[in-house]
Amino acid sequence: MIEVLTNPNKFFEERMKGEESLKIPVLIILISGLIGGISAFFIAGITMELLREALPPEAMGIASTIGGIAAFIVAAIASFVSWLVFTALFFGISCLFKGEGQFKRTLEFVGYGYIPTLIGGIISVIFMYYFVYYMYPTMGIPPVTDPAKLGEALEPVMKSPMMQLSYAIGILFMLWSANIWVFALKHARKLTTKNAVITVAIPMAAYILYSVWQMGLM
Amino acid sequence: MRQTVPALILLVGLVVVAGLSSVCALDTFGSGTAEQKSSIMITGYQVSPEVLMRNDIGTVTVTVKNMELVNSVNIKEAQMLSPSVKVLSDYYLGIGRLGPGESLNLTFTLKAVCLDGIYYPRILVKGEDAQNIRYSIPVTVDSSSLTIGVKDIPEDIFTGERAKIELVVGNPRQNTATGVKIVTENNTVIPSEVFIGELPADEPKVASFNFTPQTTGAHVLNFGLEYKNGDNIHSTALSVPLNVTESKKNAELILTGIEVESMPGVNVCKITGDINNAGLKEANSVVMKVDDAEGIEAMHPYKAYFVGLLSADDFSSFELNVEVSENETQVPLIIEYKDEDGVLFSVAEYISVDRSEGTTDTGELPVAMIAVLVVIAVIVIGLIAYSWKKR
Repeated sequence: MIEVLTNPNKFFEERMKGEESLKIPVLIILISGLIGGISAFFIAGITMELLREALPPEAMGIASTIGGIAAFIVAAIASFVSWLVFTALFFGISCLFKGEGQFKRTLEFVGYGYIPTLIGGIISVIFMYYFVYYMYPTMGIPPVTDPAKLGEALEPVMKSPMMQLSYAIGILFMLWSANIWVFALKHARKLTTKNAVITVAIPMAAYILYSVWQMGLM
Repeated sequence: MRQTVPALILLVGLVVVAGLSSVCALDTFGSGTAEQKSSIMITGYQVSPEVLMRNDIGTVTVTVKNMELVNSVNIKEAQMLSPSVKVLSDYYLGIGRLGPGESLNLTFTLKAVCLDGIYYPRILVKGEDAQNIRYSIPVTVDSSSLTIGVKDIPEDIFTGERAKIELVVGNPRQNTATGVKIVTENNTVIPSEVFIGELPADEPKVASFNFTPQTTGAHVLNFGLEYKNGDNIHSTALSVPLNVTESKKNAELILTGIEVESMPGVNVCKITGDINNAGLKEANSVVMKVDDAEGIEAMHPYKAYFVGLLSADDFSSFELNVEVSENETQVPLIIEYKDEDGVLFSVAEYISVDRSEGTTDTGELPVAMIAVLVVIAVIVIGLIAYSWKKR
């Protein structure tokens, strides 16, 4: 399994000889989703803290619990959705380069590409924990009375240095995943290395641009 | 015969004596019948106030009585004469008839323009067919004033602490003083007036005042003693110099272990530390807050920090959040507490905000985290490069 990180070309070359199986990719995506859910849980906690004056006190406890769990579940599901979306995009773009191969194989190989995001996710959770419990209380962000202004209130949180660091780590690990996906598509869709790079680069460029915009650098 | 001669001499003597007596008796009877003057008398007098002070205005009231049992007397004139005491009232003229046995009060006003002593102004009453009366009345002038002094005062007087000051008023005069009161216009002294009322001769009265100074240094408390002698108002002043010092026992709040953690991204600082009570008395309702200043604004969640009761030799941690603009380097803190009497005290402290230190602490990204990011970047780039090399 480590080979997918160090020598993905050889890893996928070997995997092409075996049967298509989604067991391991699903497990990878599931773990990735759970880790992302923890980060979402922390952000939901901050959101509920900002909304404490907009909600009645008796509803705060329930809202915090439900909000945290809901954020966790949504993040976990979003991980599977993004897996399918990226695979579909890669599959579609690779069609332009006359790519050959089953969608299931592409889905399997793209799933392996999520392994770096597991590491990045764990690091992000550590940073998020530090942010929520040590840095956020010092920011002195007043609670909002109007839920419509929640986005405005969260802006300092999203643009805080710690959050930007988290985005930067996310981009780095996504680049690592992209590197694996290049080799995954090269074998799953029987593309040339150049075409595989282009296939991966288009969605990745969009994703990175979105992340940079979220960081407030654009 | 021998016995007859002495008997004759004795008889002649008796006749001569009897004759002389008859002549005298006839002379006396004869003169009384000729003038027929009625008898009036001054039966009493009253000086008010009993003892005058110099320049006091008082009254002398005399009672004139017709001592006749049958005849009435026509009082024509009455006046007071004095070379030393100034008589302010005019003559009484044509007073009228006074029936037999009746009496009449005549009042004269005078002013004691003389030095202390006893004076005898004369009352002159003239009546028709009556003897003129000249009567001297003793009037005492004594300018001794009521005395006021400090009976008791604390040895040390401290700011914010109530000090009880006892003043004693004495009456060394021979008569009673009325309307006695002690007044002060000092705002820090309560009450502003103590009414004593009547003060008999040779008696003292004590009055208490509470003095609560708000500033240290020399203070002079001015008291005024006001009283009346008859209708004459007099006053005496008393100045009490005091030295007010800082209390040696009061709560003394000091800050230690101050840490400022800043986040330049939002210009918010977290100020933490300990507040200690180094005094000998407890501080109640201790509250720490950020003072109003330009470029300084207290922020949630700790705009102010309530410490509460802080006993002597005790301490408590505190935390404050404040937004500090770029060009501000100090944050003014206000520490408020109350003593056992509920008197509010306020202490100002200034906390330096050094952003350069804050950034290395927890303000921006910790150095360790930046190092982690660099290491991750190197590893990821290294692995990507490695995977392409192995291709």
